[in-house]
Amino acid sequence: MAVDHTMPILVVDDYKTMIRIIRNLLKQIGFEDVDEAADGSEALGKMREKKYGLVISDWNMEPMTGYELLKEVRADEKLARTPFIMVTAESKTENVIAAKKAGVNNYIVKPFNAQTLKSKIDAVFGD
Amino acid sequence: MAAAKKKEHFREMRAYARAYAEKEPSFADVMKLAAIAAESMEAFCASMDATTYRELRDIANYIETMKVEIGQFQVNDLKESRIPAAGEELDAIVKATEEATNTIMECAEALLAADCADLESYQALVNDKVMKIFEACSFQDITGQRVAKVIETLQMIESRVGRFAEAVNAKDVAGFLDEREAARARRKEELLLNGPQLKGQGIDQKYVDDMFGKK
Repeated sequence: MAVDHTMPILVVDDYKTMIRIIRNLLKQIGFEDVDEAADGSEALGKMREKKYGLVISDWNMEPMTGYELLKEVRADEKLARTPFIMVTAESKTENVIAAKKAGVNNYIVKPFNAQTLKSKIDAVFGD
Repeated sequence: MAAAKKKEHFREMRAYARAYAEKEPSFADVMKLAAIAAESMEAFCASMDATTYRELRDIANYIETMKVEIGQFQVNDLKESRIPAAGEELDAIVKATEEATNTIMECAEALLAADCADLESYQALVNDKVMKIFEACSFQDITGQRVAKVIETLQMIESRVGRFAEAVNAKDVAGFLDEREAARARRKEELLLNGPQLKGQGIDQKYVDDMFGKK
């Protein structure tokens, strides 16, 4: 499945600066349609209103974490197949194992660069 | 000395008891026996007083030491001044790094969006934005100094807590201070909120990639 550069992407992070960084990196690698949410519950609300081609989420947010969001998404019949990449500073093996078990498509450890982001998006879409 | 006197009293009282087992004692005999018993009790009470006094003096000394230790802890100074000040320094660090990041990103975004058709104005824009980036990077020096102040406060707390714990021979008790603290700990554990790891303690991207089967 080729990467569709026109697909809407939802970036979820409680730090506006991080959202801005990811938005800029996505722009550099060819993605312009980017929405944002400040935590899992806001993201879930947006996902129920609009169909996203990819979700890029932080882990540690309040009130709903990215991990909880991932589990909610996978448990929701309509959202379950949305590709989901975790971008986080959580760098313990147990976090990666838990995310994989919950159905994450890929996992990026912060800090990261545009090349890493691009390669993970490519990997998710099989490019 | 006191033990010998006690034995002597005991012997005298036993002798009286034997002597008057079969006959009625006189009033003078009863008074003499009472005097011996009272003298014996006095010695006993005197020894009791000395022990009690020693114990009370030890407790008083301990309380006095604790008062000194608690005073040297400077709890009010820590609670009302140093800890809030450290919190303010950390807030200032967050703000400064955020401002610097935003400035740098604004400059980078402006450079990316710049029209390079007019070379002269493009060069002026590049110079201006690069200067702004240099200026923004000065946050590193200020935040370094703020971090040093926070570290100083933490070291001060560490040394005082350590000294106090040693003075009271503190033993840790498992559990939480209140329900809020317990709920926070539960959330961290359930949602695997481990936070960033120090260098060498966490896993890197290559390790993650291997777990996902490359790419």
